[in-house]
Amino acid sequence: MEVQLSHIVKRFGTVTANDDVSLTLAAGRIYGLLGENGAGKSTLMRVLCGLTPPDAGSLTVDGRVLARLTPRLAATNGIGLLPQDPLDFPPLRVWENFALGGDRVLGRREARARLAAGCRRLGIALPPDVPVATLTVAERQYLELARLADRGVRLLVLDEPTTGISPVQKEALFAALRAFVADGDRLVILVTHKLAEARELCDAVAVLRRGRLVGTFATPLDAPAILAAMFENAPDAPADVPPSPAGRPRPEAAPLLRLDDVTFADATTRLARLSLTVRPGEIVGLAGIAGGGQETLLRGLAGLIPAVSGRLAVAGRNLAGRSPGRFLRAGVRYLPAARLEQGLFPGLTLTDHVRLAFPTYRRTAHSLFHTRCVEQFHLADQPDAPAAALSGGNQQRLLLSLVPDDVALLLADNPTRGLDIASVAHIWGHLRRRAAAGTTVLFASEDLDEIMRRAERILVFFDRRLVADLPGLSPTPENARYLGDLMTGRAIEGDAA
Amino acid sequence: MTGRPRPFVRGGLAAGLAVLVTLGLLLAAGAPPLRTLGVMAVSSLGSPTALLRTLSTLTPLLLCGAAVSVTFAANLWNIGIEGQIILGAVCCQGWLMACDPAGALPPAVCLTLSLAAAMAGGAAWALLAGVLRTHGRVHEIFSGLGLNFVALGINLWLILGPWQRPGMASLSGTVPLPEAFRLPALGGQPMSLVGLGLAVAAYVGVFWLLRRSFFGLTLAAVRQNPQAAALLGLAPKRRLLAAMAICGALAGLTGGLLVTGLYHRLIPSISGKYGYMAMLAALLASLRLPYLPLACLFFAALTVGGIQLPLELSLDSSLAGVIQGVMVLTLCTAGRLWPTASRRQP
Repeated sequence: MEVQLSHIVKRFGTVTANDDVSLTLAAGRIYGLLGENGAGKSTLMRVLCGLTPPDAGSLTVDGRVLARLTPRLAATNGIGLLPQDPLDFPPLRVWENFALGGDRVLGRREARARLAAGCRRLGIALPPDVPVATLTVAERQYLELARLADRGVRLLVLDEPTTGISPVQKEALFAALRAFVADGDRLVILVTHKLAEARELCDAVAVLRRGRLVGTFATPLDAPAILAAMFENAPDAPADVPPSPAGRPRPEAAPLLRLDDVTFADATTRLARLSLTVRPGEIVGLAGIAGGGQETLLRGLAGLIPAVSGRLAVAGRNLAGRSPGRFLRAGVRYLPAARLEQGLFPGLTLTDHVRLAFPTYRRTAHSLFHTRCVEQFHLADQPDAPAAALSGGNQQRLLLSLVPDDVALLLADNPTRGLDIASVAHIWGHLRRRAAAGTTVLFASEDLDEIMRRAERILVFFDRRLVADLPGLSPTPENARYLGDLMTGRAIEGDAA
Repeated sequence: MTGRPRPFVRGGLAAGLAVLVTLGLLLAAGAPPLRTLGVMAVSSLGSPTALLRTLSTLTPLLLCGAAVSVTFAANLWNIGIEGQIILGAVCCQGWLMACDPAGALPPAVCLTLSLAAAMAGGAAWALLAGVLRTHGRVHEIFSGLGLNFVALGINLWLILGPWQRPGMASLSGTVPLPEAFRLPALGGQPMSLVGLGLAVAAYVGVFWLLRRSFFGLTLAAVRQNPQAAALLGLAPKRRLLAAMAICGALAGLTGGLLVTGLYHRLIPSISGKYGYMAMLAALLASLRLPYLPLACLFFAALTVGGIQLPLELSLDSSLAGVIQGVMVLTLCTAGRLWPTASRRQP
């Protein structure tokens, strides 16, 4: 199978997402599509899969030009997409999900036989009778992979597939992808912003920057050259310095946060009983696969999920069972992972956000917006723009700017997910300064690298319980593997890293 | 702004479409279509008397329209507004029945307090639905619908029971109020124009509240994202309850005005379905406050014009209601065809 993208152009309003991109992809290989967030990777892949019609350019598959590609036409030509969040039906069983999603719904016996065969070929194992809701993200990806392979997909596109899975699961996924292309007729495109992954898996790499194809590289992949292509300017260096391994020891300080035998639980989630103390100014990283319990801890510490047992004290005040308003008054702030959906008001202006967050200054919100959001947080000076118009990085800056300076405990759920490197550096610089001023920062991240580089202390969650409380780790592959094993229950605290 | 017609254009287009559909309906009913519309126009707007009659109908519509604008601003569907009107009327009537026209309190004070009682009654009834929503997880549409029936029942029980006319229980209502307890009927109009003044004042007040006040901004925040509002400590539940209470108070005031300014007694169908009609009018105005008076006026004209149909053309007056319904449905369809830009302000 050979696929050619020729002179693809796609514009959204004034933004050119793809600017004259041409690529030729040959069978039997695994390609990496690299670039920062917003470089145009996803748009190009949506064009390839028929989900977004291009403004100009054409697509050729095995010598045939495909005009006006639709998702259905792409599927009949063997092009399949594995999106970041698998599109499956969580309440249905594994084999039922496998049976759906093609032209024809498979019968029970046929579906189970073909599922077993597909799993064997890809070297993966899936229990056919459990509901998909109980699977991990990695297993749901396997299921999609097996389904797509079974439905004759020959060109498989994966969009950031390693988000939210452990290093071991990642290796299994990569092995399955190598098995997928082994027969020499199929190919894989891996969309990622992580160079290390591309170097581990890919035979060739294409780099996009601001919608343009700025380079293609074949093995051996030269990391500095690819990085130079991905980033015009080197990212802010100072914020990228890892913390000193010992952190800033303040053993004398009284703990800011003290949990004694606390269980968090509501109708949908639960976190097993835990005890914990955190000092002022500590930066604590929470590691765990999706649903492992780290989100529950953050929401519980914000008062959004009640502590149904035990004692939860912030600065000595017991807040267990109190309303979220009491947590706010105690100086606790929570930054949700879904910034626009849970943290901001899409249709309200930036100035209105400032008014709502600082009601006492509502008469002078315009000048406060300028001194705080623009000068301190480098938001664009558009006081009357709606929050929905902001990019992900600017949404996070706005959210951070709405947090008063004197908060005691800042809880951030994936504070840099999906952000470009400059925003990441800015946000971490800001969190560092807050911590240095005495604010305790707890953050969850799906990115183990981020946790190892930023956290002075790491809490690891598995199966809705706290399984390890570690000092900071240096960002080495061995440490990543150790964390990954803890997160997936393959190791317990104290095992050699 | 290209390709996105403003609400005004959309409204006009919907009106045109609705007229077409209505003409088709009239033809199907065997009525002369254009003459029917002509009769409705003349009898609602064609003479000073007709115009005054239309303005009297505008009073409860505009008041209720302003009321539901507050709840719509918080993304609440206060379908229970009918019950709130009824409770307002009941409280107003109850207060006035307890007052003595020749008593210590001057009649004007009694009258003013009766309207305050009406507002309190409406607000309390609305808060009932609000608390069920915020603390009982019962959607306000269901609780409102249920409470409407309860309010109707209370009203009917009072009219046929404790407050019945001496010697006979009649569906024609309670004993008429003494002259002193009636709002002045300026110009001999059926509905006191004092009511119209109050309605305009309420509309202006709601306009200021939603567009200019900090409270209005917090309501917009709660409507757009209750989770984010909670994270900022804006107490979304309290805001929702406040919106319900304000809406209920204005609905109750409507009930009070219907008692003291129009019927001068409590009657079984005291709410006159003005609450539902006002919700339709608010929807016709695309939930935009500046267009609300126009939509209310249009509905008032339709209602008044519809009354003449049986007299002049032997058509049923319910035709006006059909046109109102068709109008809102076509507007909603038009809204589907042209999705509106994000609604920053109600």
